[in-house]
Amino acid sequence: MGDAWMPLDLLLLIYLSAAANGLLIGAISLPLIISRSILFALTMTHSILGGAILGVYLNEVLGISLPVPVTAFLMALILSILVAELSERIFSEDVSIALVVALATTITVVFSYLLAKASSTGLSLAWVYVAGTSAVATLGDLQRTLTGLVITAPLMHLISGEIKYIAFDRDGAEAMGINTRLYRYLFFALGSLAASILSMSIGVLATHVLLAIPGAIAVRFFKRRLFAASYLSATSLSLGGYALAQVMNIPPSGGIGILSAIAVIGMVVARES
Amino acid sequence: MGEVELRNVSYSFGDRMALEDVSFELDSPFFCAVMGPNGAGKSTLLKLMLGLLKPQKGMIRIMGYDVPREANRVRRLIGYIPQVIDIDHRIPMSVEEVVAMAALSRNLPPRIVTGEVRRRVREALELVGLDDPSAQFSELSGGQRQRVLIARALVGEPRMLLLDEPYSMLDFDMKCEIADLLYRLHRDRGIDIFLVAHELSPCIHLEPTVILLNKRVYAIGRAGEVLTLENLRRAYPGLTEIPAGFILGEDHG
Repeated sequence: MGDAWMPLDLLLLIYLSAAANGLLIGAISLPLIISRSILFALTMTHSILGGAILGVYLNEVLGISLPVPVTAFLMALILSILVAELSERIFSEDVSIALVVALATTITVVFSYLLAKASSTGLSLAWVYVAGTSAVATLGDLQRTLTGLVITAPLMHLISGEIKYIAFDRDGAEAMGINTRLYRYLFFALGSLAASILSMSIGVLATHVLLAIPGAIAVRFFKRRLFAASYLSATSLSLGGYALAQVMNIPPSGGIGILSAIAVIGMVVARES
Repeated sequence: MGEVELRNVSYSFGDRMALEDVSFELDSPFFCAVMGPNGAGKSTLLKLMLGLLKPQKGMIRIMGYDVPREANRVRRLIGYIPQVIDIDHRIPMSVEEVVAMAALSRNLPPRIVTGEVRRRVREALELVGLDDPSAQFSELSGGQRQRVLIARALVGEPRMLLLDEPYSMLDFDMKCEIADLLYRLHRDRGIDIFLVAHELSPCIHLEPTVILLNKRVYAIGRAGEVLTLENLRRAYPGLTEIPAGFILGEDHG
């Protein structure tokens, strides 16, 4: 995470970004867990990686000026909807996810290869989406995360009851007149938006790990106020991960990954005891 | 025109025919059980009646509404109770959450549980003999879960209940309790009952209308007239005698 001695305003910016990341994760993690959609997060994060590398390729090699976060978001959204449609019409959900993850991975591999051949710096730009940025947060990072938070959190609160109900009893929800398809697509759109923003700062891998854990902690240890528990644990993991990364001089995604692993082990131990 | 009218309804999943040329008519008040072997298309029939599936051929009218075109209107008049096994018990849901969503589903989001909704939930739970809205659905017994789902259907004040295998996975006493509850709702509140089952319950003082179904309708009428060995042999290939479970309800649980 670079120099341990940083100017106070930069340090403040970094930890504000970390807190905003945590809140964004908290808003999406719980609905993913309680609707048992965490495998969709796998689709989303793989798609974001494919979309990001495709975006870098379009910019660097073809000269098409398209913001990389937009291609990452669109790819995540399209492939999430593809999973939903495949599992609705043809395959079981796990098979659909496996197929779409394979498709996303193919896009990642093919465009990484093409990018590496065409541009010496392109692949390192794309690598940001795998491991996340360095420790240095900019005002732009904070603004981007806060924008995502302002869009995602209220809408997620608005639809989380329906999302949970659809997972509980889809036919029953539909028989009540709830438009299950609309809710699922809105859920995927919000999830894709949040995950693509998070991937820019902490990387795809840490995003995937972190999407699962706060919601799981909330459901495992709390009977009520699950959203508050999700926000609290996500923010703690994010802030703690940034602090740990600073101490260990590694990227934030590394610090978050270590803390997340400790949280998972803690949950397993708590369950066993 | 009957309260429920199906004419020449066919539905297939790809190459697999689920229902073929199904026609019947029911006039209110009715307490009707659809019986047939596994894979007979019983659940598909319920989903077609709810508008969750659209018939590839034929016409379905319920209470004067053309179901495929006016599914939302029909759903306001019907309470649907799915099979308990089709519900994901791993989702953390309280009894109040399960029932309240039915009360709120006609509102636009945000669907907030108000004092009025809580009162309606409590009333619906009292009707089915439950009193703890804070209990977790996953921690209830099979019979209690079935009661919660019936309460969920009742909270919308339906004119008809559609039930998918309400007696499955229940012991004999529990089957009798659920059958008695449905009979009381039919008798005291005038709610039409249309259920799919593998057996008739002996615990109610009513001879229901029975539809014998195996992709097509083999017989329809009073239970005593329909459940003859001749009819059952046609609907259940390989059957040689009437199993006790048909009436006594001992094939499950």
